[in-house]
Amino acid sequence: MIQADLNIIMPEIILSLFAIGALLGAVYTSKDKMGPMLVWATAGVFLALALWIGVNGQGTNPAFGGMFVDDAFSRFAKVAILLSSAAVLVMSQEYMQRKGLLRFEYPVLVALSVVGMMVMVSAGDLMTLYMGLELQSLALYVVASLRRDSARSTEAGLKYFVLGALSSGLLLYGASLTYGFAGTTLFSGIIQTATEGHTSIGLLFGLVFIIAGLAFKVSAVPFHMWTPDVYEGSPTPVTAFFATAPKIAAMALFARVLHDAFGSAVSDWSQIIALLSVVSMFLGAFAAIGQTNIKRLMAFSSIAHMGYALMGLAAGTVLGVQAMLVYMAIYVTMNIGTFAFILSMQKDGQAVTDIGSLNQYAKREPGKALAMLILLFSMAGVPPMVGFFGKFYVLRAAYDAGLAWLAIAGVIASVIGAYYYLRIVFYMYFGEVPDETLDKSHSPVLWGFLMASAAIMVLGLVNLFGIEGAAAAAAATLVN
Amino acid sequence: MDDIAREYLPIIIFLAVAIGLGLVLILAAIVLAVRNPDPEKVSAYECGFNAFDDARMKFDVRFYLVSILFIIFDLEIAFLFPWAVAFKDISMVGFWSMMVFLAVLTAGFAYEWKKGALEWE
Amino acid sequence: METLILFAPLVGALIGGFGWRLTGERAAMWITTGLLFVACAFSWIVFLTHDGVTEKIQLLRWIESGSLSTDWAIRMDRLTAIMLIVITTVSALVHLYSFGYMADDPQWKEGESYKPRFFAYLSFFTFAMLMLVTSDNLVQMFFGWEGVGVASYLLIGFYYRKPTANAAAIKAFVVNRVGDFGFALGIFGLYYLTDSVKFDDIFAAAPALAETTVHFLWADWNAANLIAVLLFIGAMGKSAQLFLHTWLPDAMEGPTPVSALIHAATMVTAGVFLVCRMSPLMEYAPEATAFITILGATTAFVAATIGLVQNDIKRVIAYSTMSQLGYMFVAAGVGAYSVAMFHLFTHAFFKAMLFLGAGSVIHAMHHEQDMRNYGGLRKKIPYTFAAMLIGTLAITGVGIPLTGWIGFAGFASKDAVIESAFAADPMGYAFWMLVIAALFTSFYSWRLMFLTFFGKPRGDKHTHEHAHESPMVMLVPLGVLAVGSIFAGAIWYSSFFGKTNEIASFFGVPYAEASEHGEAKDDHGEAKDDHAAPKDDKKKKTSYAFTGKPGEGAIYTGKDNHVIHDAHYVPTWVKLSPFIAMVIGFLMAMCFYIWDPKMPKRTMEHNRPLYNFLLNKWYFDELYDAIFVKPASMIGRFFWKRGDGDVIDGTLNGVAMGIVPFFTRLAGRAQSGYIFTYAFAMVIGILVLVTWMTFSGGAQ
Repeated sequence: MIQADLNIIMPEIILSLFAIGALLGAVYTSKDKMGPMLVWATAGVFLALALWIGVNGQGTNPAFGGMFVDDAFSRFAKVAILLSSAAVLVMSQEYMQRKGLLRFEYPVLVALSVVGMMVMVSAGDLMTLYMGLELQSLALYVVASLRRDSARSTEAGLKYFVLGALSSGLLLYGASLTYGFAGTTLFSGIIQTATEGHTSIGLLFGLVFIIAGLAFKVSAVPFHMWTPDVYEGSPTPVTAFFATAPKIAAMALFARVLHDAFGSAVSDWSQIIALLSVVSMFLGAFAAIGQTNIKRLMAFSSIAHMGYALMGLAAGTVLGVQAMLVYMAIYVTMNIGTFAFILSMQKDGQAVTDIGSLNQYAKREPGKALAMLILLFSMAGVPPMVGFFGKFYVLRAAYDAGLAWLAIAGVIASVIGAYYYLRIVFYMYFGEVPDETLDKSHSPVLWGFLMASAAIMVLGLVNLFGIEGAAAAAAATLVN
Repeated sequence: MDDIAREYLPIIIFLAVAIGLGLVLILAAIVLAVRNPDPEKVSAYECGFNAFDDARMKFDVRFYLVSILFIIFDLEIAFLFPWAVAFKDISMVGFWSMMVFLAVLTAGFAYEWKKGALEWE
Repeated sequence: METLILFAPLVGALIGGFGWRLTGERAAMWITTGLLFVACAFSWIVFLTHDGVTEKIQLLRWIESGSLSTDWAIRMDRLTAIMLIVITTVSALVHLYSFGYMADDPQWKEGESYKPRFFAYLSFFTFAMLMLVTSDNLVQMFFGWEGVGVASYLLIGFYYRKPTANAAAIKAFVVNRVGDFGFALGIFGLYYLTDSVKFDDIFAAAPALAETTVHFLWADWNAANLIAVLLFIGAMGKSAQLFLHTWLPDAMEGPTPVSALIHAATMVTAGVFLVCRMSPLMEYAPEATAFITILGATTAFVAATIGLVQNDIKRVIAYSTMSQLGYMFVAAGVGAYSVAMFHLFTHAFFKAMLFLGAGSVIHAMHHEQDMRNYGGLRKKIPYTFAAMLIGTLAITGVGIPLTGWIGFAGFASKDAVIESAFAADPMGYAFWMLVIAALFTSFYSWRLMFLTFFGKPRGDKHTHEHAHESPMVMLVPLGVLAVGSIFAGAIWYSSFFGKTNEIASFFGVPYAEASEHGEAKDDHGEAKDDHAAPKDDKKKKTSYAFTGKPGEGAIYTGKDNHVIHDAHYVPTWVKLSPFIAMVIGFLMAMCFYIWDPKMPKRTMEHNRPLYNFLLNKWYFDELYDAIFVKPASMIGRFFWKRGDGDVIDGTLNGVAMGIVPFFTRLAGRAQSGYIFTYAFAMVIGILVLVTWMTFSGGAQ
């Protein structure tokens, strides 16, 4: 019995053991000199696990009496998390080394945080949920302040920690309310108590607090305030990490809680999610317009993107979850490419984040400018880039679920949002001649990620690389 | 209604005792204590810092390392107590779970030690 | 071979349009022209060897959508064959002619290349026109229909530096849109009613359509009549019939070869072709054909009156074209489809030649087009004069009266039209209109001749002194067309307007000896016109009647339609009337412009209002301007300035420059950097959510 349970969580166990082993191994040997090697090793482990989960996993396997669930949905999310984490790790190696930030703890912390995410997306119980959430959060708090001699970085870490603690508190409060009214922490038990139209107000309050806690993790408005500051303050590779894997994990967890635990009260939470979605989309769009720092801009961009992903959730249907998963996969791919570009933005060895420095960029590096153009268009949702299809999916899901107003709002927000994406394109192609120009970057890794991501944005329109089918299967196991 | 009241009765009694005891102690201090105030004495005690001061001051991080370590092992004990009390009734799974937990904590401790967090100088 | 005819011009157009930079200007011109002569030669072979049996050549499957299935196919029957030779012959000659006419053009600066473009347009037009006449279904026909519209637009606006040419091009396009709207509605209607756009299916369904009623525009209509009228509206636009005719005179802004090809010989006759092609449907739509007849007759008359006073040589011919198109529609309207085609056929020759001749004159006079500045050119350009003379004799219908066919081309066909009109409705409106129009035709044609070639030279002296005969490439086409203008009528008289069995075998329509009913009618006709009874009928007692079902053969004539037969037995005075009208017209023209050159001025002064009325083309343009153009442009301006400018742009600008930055500032200010602000926002957020849930949650 216990053997079967352990088998199911084997990927998580392996990753944890790897992290502990790496930590001890590095600290007792050459310490930070092992950093680069550990980065590659961790990325390798991520890839191997992603392959293992993607190829081997099948069926729905509950473990530990339902506290941990391994199903198509969690596998989809895990593969996405592992792949994007691996990509970010590989991208960050060079930058971190240059800045002297490549301590051996960095890959270990990332690995631990990934373990937390994997637990999150497999959670079948409020306690598992909280455990996974905290494991990933604590690791993230630390990496946010990785550059500990920089005031901004430590500020970012502290802010993230304090607000994260607050959100954890809200989540715990919601969990205890839910436990109090449902009498159980198991999702499968909660869903039987929370039936449509007969859900007690206490349970709904619990739901609202849990949603608030999770909304903080996906940085949905109004729980988003930490995002720009943390994105700006953290070292850029860490920002890239924040913008990718944890977002998938939190969004997947969101979907799991809403459908697995509260799937019988869709109409109750759907309006709340719709509200979060619409304010996120609009605030993301409006606030990003005022930004000149590309990392802050990306923060607001991710807030807006989370609004769209939430729109899929708000639909409360299989199609909605599928749309959300597809959207997240596309979002992560775009962000990896964009951050590969941002990582390569530097002048005299110093990282530059001002978008004014991109003036006339297309003249100097037409290839990269073109790739960036494609990515920005894709993020803005311009057809025929893949980003358009992501938006199209969620809009259709929302429309099919009778949330036409939400879909219309989404379209309007995307029009407003297009402004700040296109502004960067404008700078790159038609901007004034800048006083100082960025250095040419010679990192093949970053170049490769940028180009690959851009290529996916264009080529993916054929069939989205079959991700649709996987997402559909994943969504089907989640929503009954 | 009666049932509920009866179930909660011990709690109410417990609360009453706690409040009563607290009040008695405070009142006793007021009644019995010798008062000889000076500024240092009346100011609130806050881990060796001034209670009202600029938050952005430098302080020795080692205090915190020690206290955090203390809390971690304190919590470990908090887990160990119920485990030990129920040791008779739990299976081998329970036993090994705790062993794994302790092993992980030990790994952390080993890292910390090697990293030099325990050296005062 | 048909495929080759169809695609040779397209290849030419592509080479001329896109390939001339590779081949060189001159080579491109020769290739397009050469390909057209090839097409022309093949067309004649097809025409002469055609046995009247309808053939279908499927080129490819085009549209398959639900029950809508459209092939790209060539429908080869007599109608198509006639149109093939008309189109390819005139087009080939016009290509050749253009070598001379377009040789140097003051519109273009030195070194600018415009000739390959011109030839490409011409060839493209030819392709589209062939597409139209060879089509097997209405959709393909509509494709050709719009194709020629585009080509016409491009060619009218060929001198794109001239604002008037651009305006004329747009006008032609827009006016044609009105007609095309009707045509498209007709196609939709046919598809709606018969579930097919193929001619075969539509023709087979024609009798049933006559018994169907459809609800359209708040009223119930007979389906056949409604569809026929809608299709005719399309024909009105393309063939410049009254109310949709205003574009044709303006279209003369295009180069003269274009006018000859498109606005005289081919494209404008597409409407007539359409009506003849749809004859199985028309035969079941008596009200619609009556409408066609009346409108055609009125057009013939109105256009002729306007032609009387125009001074621009090309405009006179343009109104003449419009008038002759009216004739054709009258013939088609009364059910004499072969006669309509006959007139179309002969008209193509002499009208193309008149235009090319006019072009030659214009060329000689250095692009001067006002006839008041001509005069006495007879000696300067003798060949052109000869050609124009033949053309005039043809259009006015000179021939030996009562023989029927001995005479110039126009004589045979025009008399046939007038007789048919009389046969259908003795002493009717159409007949009288046509006779009067014939008189006017004669007058303005001779007026053109006299003003141009006789009298003293007027206008710029220098121009007159340098007037010169056109080069050989321009004269050869004139010569070829002259042959056609002289003989086309006589040669094919019996095929188009002979006895029923001759026509029937020419057009591939089944026929049989007339039934008793037919006999009775025959006798009746004979009894009535005893003294005028033609000799051939007396010799052979047997007579024939069309017996085909709708869709068999190129044209369909209903059971009770004996117009062509009856037309041979009209009273003698009817047969003489067009000739007399022609002579009167000629004499009047002599009187006005040769014997007493002061007379036009006098007449004009005495009848000033009438003169202005005619000179201003019955004020159609002014009327349309007031009724349609002005209000439309007012509405357009309103939507542009108020709707688009103020409301849409204003709103967007307001949003983009006012509201969005406001929110952006607000969002920026909220991002204070202090943790307590952030925590406060979270608390407020959860408060809002909880409140919301309390009021609208599932517990309620």
